[in-house]
Amino acid sequence: MTSSSSVVELDANLDGRLRLEELVHREALGELCKSFYDLFGIPVRIYSSEGLLLADESKGQTICAYVNSSARGRAACATIVDAVKRADPGEKGDVVHPCFTGAAYRVIAIDYEGRQIGRLIVGPYLPAQSVAMPPTLLATEPALEAEKARTLLFEMPRAKSETITRLAAHLKAVLDLVIFSGHRAFLTSHMHLASVRENYRELEDKNKKLQDAYDRLKELDRLKSNFLATVSHELRTPLTSIIGYSEMLTAGIAGPLQPEQTEFVQTIFEKGEQLLSLILGLLDLSKLESGTMTVKLRRTEIGAVVAAAMSTLTPVAQKKSVDLKVDIPEGLPAVHGDPERLRQVFQNLIENAIKFTPAGARITVVARPVLSGDDGVGSAEDRDEDAGFSLLAPARAFVEVRVIDEGIGIPDREKARVFDAFYQVDSSSTREYGGTGLGLSIVKRLVDAHSGRVRIEDNAPHGAVFVVTLPVSREAPASPSVPPGPVQ
Amino acid sequence: MQLNFAAREVTMKLVYYGPALSGKTTNLRALHQLTSQDSRGRLMTLETKDDRTLFFDMLPLVFRAEGPRGVDDGKGMSLRVKVFTVPGQVLHTSTRRLVLQGADGVAFVADSQIRETENNAAAFVDLRDNLRELGLAVAQMPLVIQFNKRDLPGVRSDQEIADLASRGREPVFRASAVTGGGVLESFFGLLQLTWNKLDAEHQLAKNLGIDRAGFLPMVARKLGYEGDVATLLAANVGGGAKRREER
Repeated sequence: MTSSSSVVELDANLDGRLRLEELVHREALGELCKSFYDLFGIPVRIYSSEGLLLADESKGQTICAYVNSSARGRAACATIVDAVKRADPGEKGDVVHPCFTGAAYRVIAIDYEGRQIGRLIVGPYLPAQSVAMPPTLLATEPALEAEKARTLLFEMPRAKSETITRLAAHLKAVLDLVIFSGHRAFLTSHMHLASVRENYRELEDKNKKLQDAYDRLKELDRLKSNFLATVSHELRTPLTSIIGYSEMLTAGIAGPLQPEQTEFVQTIFEKGEQLLSLILGLLDLSKLESGTMTVKLRRTEIGAVVAAAMSTLTPVAQKKSVDLKVDIPEGLPAVHGDPERLRQVFQNLIENAIKFTPAGARITVVARPVLSGDDGVGSAEDRDEDAGFSLLAPARAFVEVRVIDEGIGIPDREKARVFDAFYQVDSSSTREYGGTGLGLSIVKRLVDAHSGRVRIEDNAPHGAVFVVTLPVSREAPASPSVPPGPVQ
Repeated sequence: MQLNFAAREVTMKLVYYGPALSGKTTNLRALHQLTSQDSRGRLMTLETKDDRTLFFDMLPLVFRAEGPRGVDDGKGMSLRVKVFTVPGQVLHTSTRRLVLQGADGVAFVADSQIRETENNAAAFVDLRDNLRELGLAVAQMPLVIQFNKRDLPGVRSDQEIADLASRGREPVFRASAVTGGGVLESFFGLLQLTWNKLDAEHQLAKNLGIDRAGFLPMVARKLGYEGDVATLLAANVGGGAKRREER
């Protein structure tokens, strides 16, 4: 058994790596801050929980520029700005941070799902209640002109503390929506990927199991073929003696037999022959399955092959009053095949046709050259695979042989299965028509070994047509041509 | 469960499982409605155009757990209960497995309609199989069963449910999630089982300075429920009561 791989891992609560900078688009944050500034004139900055500045919208205040014009003022300003940047919004998530100029900053926590993921800094702004310049301004930098500093300080936008609280709450609500949407989109894509990976993993697991089962079945099949080959071989040896001795008895070699004895021995001989042909069929099949049957492909005239098969079967057909007709045109191209194996193919097909054809009906064998091995139509009409027909056709010449009977026919759903070993359309037909169910499977495998095709068509109104398509030989005709005979 | 001592934060994961259209998302919507705004986050739904859950829904409930003195001295723990649903449609089994990862407790939302009996059973087998794939046993998982849609016709009778429940091991709740009935009951039933198990395994009450017995009433208060939690918990029938008596 294969062990399964483990389920694709997912951060269980889907919140392990929530970072403001990953959830929202920085430029969008910048636009949000700008629109806030445009509306209220109060600068706003957004920091990540690690202190990374994500958005900043603050045009320099005139008082700040004036303070920064001196070295001491610049140093003091930098200290304040730095402190504001690090300020902890505390448990309440909102603190005021004063500046020595009298201005103020508000540091507000940005929370999401109970965690602080960033900070909002609003300011500097001048608290609405400020009426006088605080002494800290000139104490920090005495070099500043008091009157100018006062004028510039009061140019700074004023705001009540409650107003800032309300503005910040609004900004937080908007941010919360932006973050929520970002989080939702993040989770959707994350889950999508994880689901695809998990599905893939599951399929891989199943494929592995199927492959294992398939390998096991293949091995079992191989064992079965070996077993069949061995058993068939071992059965044949004693059977040869049974057939041989019963034949000798019938011939009177061991002395004359009474008519009844002759009849009995004749039956032993016939049944022995039947058993032998079954065993030979099994042997052929197992050789074909194991790939140990050698097919010697060479230039072969199909007419001679069919004629050889016919001569064997004519007595059988006559006995059953079935009319056999052959129509093979002169000048049919030779095929690339093993004459003995092809004779076996057509003998099986014609024998099969005789078996299922009622007395008085006819079996016809016709042959013709075609261009495609697949459909036998040989036309280029509306077929994608026939694009480039004039280039491909010469390379794809085939001979098609049709064995046409007027028997019981084969239902569509059975057409593919009749080539399976031991299969008969209706298992009761084995009793009615005899046969082992091996003939067609041997035909299929032999034709496959010739790179040919075999298929079944209907012969309206009743009967079946077995169509065998074989590739044309590319060898030059030997002269004088040697008719193929049975090969030992 | 995720325990972060440094951030003084505990995160529990509860998963609402069940067959398609049994009312898992509706349970979450109701829970969202029934809890106070201060302690609930936004309800996140990831759904298709026809309102079918695609990956999951999630409702975060976040509040500060007070110490034994019952006052928030700023030193309490931050408690986060994240409630998830899974997509119920059969084809989403791999997504269900992903969402089920790391679950501390499962509420199985069944459809009370008699014609849904097979679907309920199939979804439960799916839950069991998915837990197994994750290396978990359903018997070890804090689990409550909710028979939802009590307001519809063609449902299994209360008596039948009580009979079934008395033979089972899980607490069984009856609910009508569209009206909110039975939703808090099921939630607290599940939270109780989950808390008991996590506390037993990690000595949460002791380590976090939380009052063990007062945990559920505290959560109820934080979520804005003004009634008595014991009443909510008593709403279950069958197995749950039996299991508690055994303790």
